[in-house]
Amino acid sequence: MSEPVTRRDLLHNVVRGSVLATLGGGAIFLVQKAHGQVVWQVDASRCSNSRLGEAGPENCKLCTTECVVALSAVRAVNEHSKCGRCAICPAYFNITSAVDEKGLPSEKKCPRDAITRKPIGRADPEDPANNFYEYIIDEEKCDGCGKCVMQCREPLGLGSIVLRVRYDKCVNCNKCAISRACPKDALMQIPVEQALQAPEIRHSTE
Amino acid sequence: MMPPMESAQLRSLTVAARKRLPSRDRKEAVAALLLLLFLAFAPRIHAQAIPYTRPVETAPQENTIGGGYKTLAVQRAKPRDYWFQVLDVVILGAAMGIAVWLVLKRRSRKWATVLTIGSLAYFGFYREGCICPIGSIQNVAVALTDPKYSIPMVVTLTFFLPLVVALFYGRAFCGGVCALGAIQELVLLKPVQVPPKLDRALGLLKYVYLGLAILLAIRPALARDFLICRFDPFVGFFRRTGSPHMLMLGGGFLLLGMFVGRPYCRYLCPYGGLLTWCTRLARRGVTVTPDKELDCGLCTNACPYGAIEHMRAVRKDCLYCARCYASCPRTKSELVTLS
Repeated sequence: MSEPVTRRDLLHNVVRGSVLATLGGGAIFLVQKAHGQVVWQVDASRCSNSRLGEAGPENCKLCTTECVVALSAVRAVNEHSKCGRCAICPAYFNITSAVDEKGLPSEKKCPRDAITRKPIGRADPEDPANNFYEYIIDEEKCDGCGKCVMQCREPLGLGSIVLRVRYDKCVNCNKCAISRACPKDALMQIPVEQALQAPEIRHSTE
Repeated sequence: MMPPMESAQLRSLTVAARKRLPSRDRKEAVAALLLLLFLAFAPRIHAQAIPYTRPVETAPQENTIGGGYKTLAVQRAKPRDYWFQVLDVVILGAAMGIAVWLVLKRRSRKWATVLTIGSLAYFGFYREGCICPIGSIQNVAVALTDPKYSIPMVVTLTFFLPLVVALFYGRAFCGGVCALGAIQELVLLKPVQVPPKLDRALGLLKYVYLGLAILLAIRPALARDFLICRFDPFVGFFRRTGSPHMLMLGGGFLLLGMFVGRPYCRYLCPYGGLLTWCTRLARRGVTVTPDKELDCGLCTNACPYGAIEHMRAVRKDCLYCARCYASCPRTKSELVTLS
């Protein structure tokens, strides 16, 4: 050593070392309980648009209004494997509107006209209106207002449409702005391994 | 207390009132009221009473639908890949290393500015300001108090890395990496010196903010609030969206920042408070060495952050911008030999 260590330097080193040890200890403690990666997702069993008897005549639109992304990262998603494919879908049509000449409700439910449908499967020649329909939600139009979600639940629907966070739109905020506003605390952080699973079957009432 | 006389009188009066309306009349009145109520609600009930019953009880599958129908797969966009997040931490560390090298060794203001622009572009506009060490204070505070809270590994590293660097080299994070700092650094056009007393007093605000943010973060899960993220003034610019009042606040900070050097960093940034504590112990930092022939004090005037006092750099306030070096006549090539 070329220079003798002064008392000041020694003290400095000791304090620095102890702070470093504290930081390191804290980091190791946290890393041990750390999760690889977490993402935000809507828990359909808590969302008031999904739960029967939760939302009133006006549905909850906080997912649309609170998200920091311009067009909310929460979108309605139709789980096709659970969809009833009804001819008169209560989420597609406003079933309280007047019936037009074709016998279908004249108004649609989606305010942004984001749901399209087309007949699928075997056509019944006797009764062409009685068919199965495939309902596709246009993600670029949907803003996650949840109007269709509120209709597609017991007892009218099967609950195939749910609100989901779309990870390609979500910026994964440190504290999701929707979760802060959500009265049901339905937005939760889940490990990424669960993120790509299909949403669980909804509880109608609890 | 009411005298017993009066109370008895009152009771007899009520009894008399009841007797005046015989029970048959009351029943009729109730029936009429019910009828009125029914009439009032009848049109609405009628409107909703379009006969709708769910035609199916379970979802029809491919074999029921027939006609060769294949169930459409639901597109599930993947979250950002984990390795990209690890890459963010690596870039964070590398940028701090480069900042230390550029400022302490190369003493290059030009290249330090380039690094600032690069960090603003990557951590600010590309990564949209999340996650940053400033906000991670709250995650760490929650993780230390709530055993059920799961903190991502990346967030933990993002929190500790700049503090460790500060223990050795000072606030390299503030100057080289932080996007919030970078956007203020780049708008600083006409620096005005803040009076040292006012500067010191305002500097205490960041500890109040730090305490408040931690207090709100460690509340029970439902009442928890991440104050720092919620009132991040610049994240709205990074995301090109946001509530009008937050954008106005950010605009106000940038406007102020044209004259007062990095107001958010110096007076509000809670992570700046933590870095200040660590920087007091730093092994090395920016140094300006006055010598006998040349004590012009140009660097003191050049420093917009009031971090040079009595011709000495104050490490805890130094934000690694290298303006002092750029202003120094000694570092110009022909004067470098002067000693």
